[in-house]
Amino acid sequence: MKALLWLPLLIFPALIQSNFILTIFTFSFILAIAAVSFNLIFGFTGQLSMFHAAAFGIAAYITSLTASIFHVSFWVGLVPAICFTILISLIIGSICFKFKLRAFYFAVVTLAFSELARLVILNWNSVTNGTLGLMVLDKPFLWVPVTGLTKIDGVFGWYFFSLAALIFTVAACSLVLRSWIGRCFAAIRLNEDLAQTLGINIFRYKLLSFTLANTLAAIAGSLYAFYTGYIEPNYLSINQSLDIISMVLLGGRSSIIGPIAGAFVLTGLPHVINLSGEARAILYGLVLILTILVLPQGMIGTLASWRRAA
Amino acid sequence: MLQLLVGQTLNGVIVGTLYGIIALGVTLTFGITGIVNFALGEFMMIGAYVTWYLFDVAGLPYPVAIFPATAIAAGCGFVADQLLFRFTRNNLINGLLVSIGLISIIEAAALLLWTTTPKDMGYVLSGAVRLGGVSVPKMKLVVFALLAAVMFLTYAALSRTWIGRAAYAYSQNPEAAMLMGVRTEVLQSGVVVYSTALAGFGGALYASLYSLEPAMGGLYILKGIEAAILGGIGSLIGALAGGIILGVTEAVGSIYLPGAFRDAYGLIFVVAILLYQPSGLFGAER
Amino acid sequence: MRRLIWSVIVALTASPVAAQNTVKIGQIEAQTGANAIYGYMSSQGLALAVDQVNKAGGFKVGEKTYTVELIASDTRGDPKEASIQLKRLLETDQAKFVFGPFLSNVFVTIDPYAKQFNGKFLLMGGATRIHDFLGTPEHDFLIRTWNWDAGPKGFGNLMVDRLVKETGAKKVAMLFQNDQGGKVLVDIYTPLFKEKGIETQLELFEPGTKDFSAVLAKLAAGKPDLLFPSYSDAHLYDIVRQATEGNYFRKFFLVRGSLGPGLKNKDEIDDYFVYVPKYFEQAEKTDQKVAKFIADYKAFYKRDFPYDQAPLCSSSCYDHLFMLIEAMKKAGSVDDVARIRKELLAMTYDGLWKIRFDEKGEEIFNFDVVRMKRGGQISVTSVDTQ
Repeated sequence: MKALLWLPLLIFPALIQSNFILTIFTFSFILAIAAVSFNLIFGFTGQLSMFHAAAFGIAAYITSLTASIFHVSFWVGLVPAICFTILISLIIGSICFKFKLRAFYFAVVTLAFSELARLVILNWNSVTNGTLGLMVLDKPFLWVPVTGLTKIDGVFGWYFFSLAALIFTVAACSLVLRSWIGRCFAAIRLNEDLAQTLGINIFRYKLLSFTLANTLAAIAGSLYAFYTGYIEPNYLSINQSLDIISMVLLGGRSSIIGPIAGAFVLTGLPHVINLSGEARAILYGLVLILTILVLPQGMIGTLASWRRAA
Repeated sequence: MLQLLVGQTLNGVIVGTLYGIIALGVTLTFGITGIVNFALGEFMMIGAYVTWYLFDVAGLPYPVAIFPATAIAAGCGFVADQLLFRFTRNNLINGLLVSIGLISIIEAAALLLWTTTPKDMGYVLSGAVRLGGVSVPKMKLVVFALLAAVMFLTYAALSRTWIGRAAYAYSQNPEAAMLMGVRTEVLQSGVVVYSTALAGFGGALYASLYSLEPAMGGLYILKGIEAAILGGIGSLIGALAGGIILGVTEAVGSIYLPGAFRDAYGLIFVVAILLYQPSGLFGAER
Repeated sequence: MRRLIWSVIVALTASPVAAQNTVKIGQIEAQTGANAIYGYMSSQGLALAVDQVNKAGGFKVGEKTYTVELIASDTRGDPKEASIQLKRLLETDQAKFVFGPFLSNVFVTIDPYAKQFNGKFLLMGGATRIHDFLGTPEHDFLIRTWNWDAGPKGFGNLMVDRLVKETGAKKVAMLFQNDQGGKVLVDIYTPLFKEKGIETQLELFEPGTKDFSAVLAKLAAGKPDLLFPSYSDAHLYDIVRQATEGNYFRKFFLVRGSLGPGLKNKDEIDDYFVYVPKYFEQAEKTDQKVAKFIADYKAFYKRDFPYDQAPLCSSSCYDHLFMLIEAMKKAGSVDDVARIRKELLAMTYDGLWKIRFDEKGEEIFNFDVVRMKRGGQISVTSVDTQ
C-alpha cells in the first residue's frame, strides 16, 4: 500500500522536464538517504550521533579515490568505502558504547571523532589534495533492463538512479525496523536501563544501529561525490551533520519517510523562495526553532497524528 | 627554544581564559538548565560588536563601553530564554537544536547590520611588556586579569551566597530544592542570562584583542564545550582550568606540530577524558 | 494539467516575466558564509552598476533600448547551491551572461555542467582555478576577470622584482591560510622567490585562526627579512598587529590585502609593501571616476565606503558590466555570445581600472604598489601592465 506513495516521484520527470527542478530533486534524494539513515541511530535508537557527516565524507573520498587510482568502476570503489565505514563504525561505536557514553557525551565524542577525521583529510595532502579537493570525473554504470549497461550521466539518469538508491535505503531500513532488531532499538530509545534488564544487549544493538546508519550514509556520500563531481573536506564539516539533523527533525523522527520530507524542504526551499542570503538564514533558523517548539514530531509526524486523531 | 616555550605557554594561558569564560557559561547552563547552549558564541559576538560600536563609532571610553555591551548581550540572552530555552529545559536534543536555529538568526542579523567585512577596533592599550625575554601585549594581560577575576568572583558568589547555594542545591536535587523554596524558574532563567552575560563580557574583551566577524562565535563555543568537558561539567574551577589547559596545549603543540593540527588537541582531550574520567579533571561524580 | 503544474513552478521559481527588451545578467557569488569576503564587493559593485544603467534609461544596441535585469544568487560558498543556481540561471531564466564565481571550489563543481552550454553563454568569474581551464577545448564560454600572479605580465613577478630591487631581501617567511587560495599562492610564489635566489619558510594556518603567536614565533625564529602574510583582511589585521606587538616582524610584503592593517600599526612597522588593485584613498583624490564611484556607492547603499574591500571590485564588479554593454554595442547584438566575446577580448576599457583581456580570456589590469614606512609615510606607484 505504502509503495504507491513512490509513484508520483517515478512519473514526475515526465511532467516536469526542468533540469533545475530535477537537480533539486536529485540532491534531495541523495541527502534524504543520509537523513533516513541518520534517523536509524537518532530517531529510532535515540542516540544523537555527530559522526554522520564523517561517514558521508570519508566514504565519498574512498570511493572516488579507489575509482580513480585503480581505474575501477563506482561499484568496485564502493566496496572499500563500505568496508572501511563498517570498520570505523565498529571501532568508534565500541569505544563509545563500551564506556557507556550517554546522550550529550556520546554526541560530543562522535563530534570529536568527526572533526578529527575532517582534519586528517584536510591535511593529508598527498592523498586527498587537502583543501583543494578532488574532481570526480567518472560516472557509475548500471545494468538496466531495456538499455543494458548504461552510464548514469545527465539529468534523468541521475534522477532515477538516486531515487532507486533512496527506495533501496528505505526498504532496508523498513526491513530492519520491522524486525525484532527494530524492537530492540525502540526499547533502547524508550528506556535503556529497562531494556537492559529485559535481557537486551544494549552494546550490541547500539553498535548495530550506529554501524548500519553510517554504512547507508557512506552510500549517500559516494553518490553525492559522483553526482557533484567534486569532493572537498567540507563534506565532513559539522554543518553537514547539522543540516542532516535539521532534515530529520523537520520531517519527523518517528517515521522512516519523515526525513525525506525534511530533505526536500531544506534542499529546495532556498531556491523556491528568492530571498537574500541573510533572510534565508533567518528563515532557516526560524524553521528549526518552530519545528522544535511547535511541531516536535516534525511535519510527517504531525500529519500522522492528525490522521490518527481524526 | 626555551623562550619560544615560555612565550607560548603564557599566550596559551591568556587565550585559555577566553575559552574558560565560555566554558563557565556552558557548565553553568548545563548544570542548572540541563541543556548546552550552543549559541553562547553568538552572545559573545553580540558583546564584541556592541563594544566595537560604542568604542569606535560612538566614541565612548573602552571601560565604559564594556558594561552596556555585556548588558545588551545579557538582555538578548533573557529574550532567548523567555522565547526559546524556557521550553527546552532538561531536553538536551531540543536545546541543542533550538540554539542552532538561534545561531542562524543571530548571525544573519549581524551580517545585515555589519556585513562580513571584518571590524578591527581601535587599540585600547598598545605596547607590550617583556616577561622573561618574551613580548606579551599589555592588553592581553589586562584581559587575562579581568576574565580570571570574573571567574573567581562567580565561584565565590556561588559558593558563599544564598543564590549560589540555591543553585548548587538545585543541581544536586531539583525536586528537593523546589520543596525547600528555591524559585527554580527564576534560577534557571537567571543562569541562562548570567551565562550570556559572561559570554558577552568575554566578547567585549575579545574585541580589544582581535578583529571581529559575524562568524567569530563558532570557534569559541566549540572550544568552550571542550574546555568544560575537560575540566568537568559542573565544576566552575574546572571551566577555567580546562580552558587554560586547552589554551596552553594548543599553543605549545603548535610549536612542535603543524599549526593545522591546532584544533585536534582539544578534540583528543575530549575523547580521552570522556572515556577515562567522564567527570573531568575537577568534576565530582554526578 | 502539465501546463498548470509547470506554470505554478515557474511562477514560484523564475524571476518575473521578462519585459520586452531586457538583458538578464546572472551572478553567482558567496555573499554570506565563511568566504563571503570574495563575493561581497562584486555583488555590491554589480548591483550599483545595474542600477546606474537602468536609471540612465538602459542602453541602446542597434535600434532597440535594453534594460538590465540582475539575478544575483548567494552560493554561500556551497558548490551544491551554485550548481542548482546556475541551472536555474541558464535554463529557467535563460540568462546569457553570468558573473562569478570567485571561489575555486564552486567553479570546479559547476564547470562540467557549464561546458554543456559552451557557445550559449559567457561565464565571467575571478576564481583562481579558472586560469587552468582557459583556452582548453569546450571552454569558449569562460573568461577570467582577474589577474594571474605568475607569468611575464603577472603582478606577482613584478612585485617580487620590486621587492628584491628595493629591499634586497634574502629570506621571506610565508604565512598563508590552509585553503584553496593559500595553496595556490604557495604554488605560485615559492618558485618566483626561488628564481630570484630568495629563501622561503612556510607556515599554514587554519581559516578562522585569530591568535597567530605560535606560527609567528616559529617563523621569526628562522630570522627572515620580512613576512608575506595571507591575503584576507580578516586575518591580516590580526597578523600584522600580533607580529608587531610580539616583536616578531617589522617588515611586511603583501600581495592581495589592504593597507588598512599597516596604517593601524604604522608606528611599529618599518616597511610595508602591498599590491593593491587600486589604492582607493589616494585614487579618490586624483581620479574623478573613482571619486564618483565612491560617492555613488555611498548614496546608493547609505553606508560608509569599504575602502579596504574596494580593491576586490577589480573582479566581476562594476567596470565589467559596462565593458559587457560596450561589447554588445560593438557586436550589434545582445544574444550573439561568440561575437560579444570576440569584442570583449579585443577591447581595452578605461573605467575605474584600465582593463583588457589576453588572448586566452584572462584579465590584465593596472594596479598600485603602496609602500608605507614607519610613521605612515606612503608612496604609491601605479603599475601599468598594458
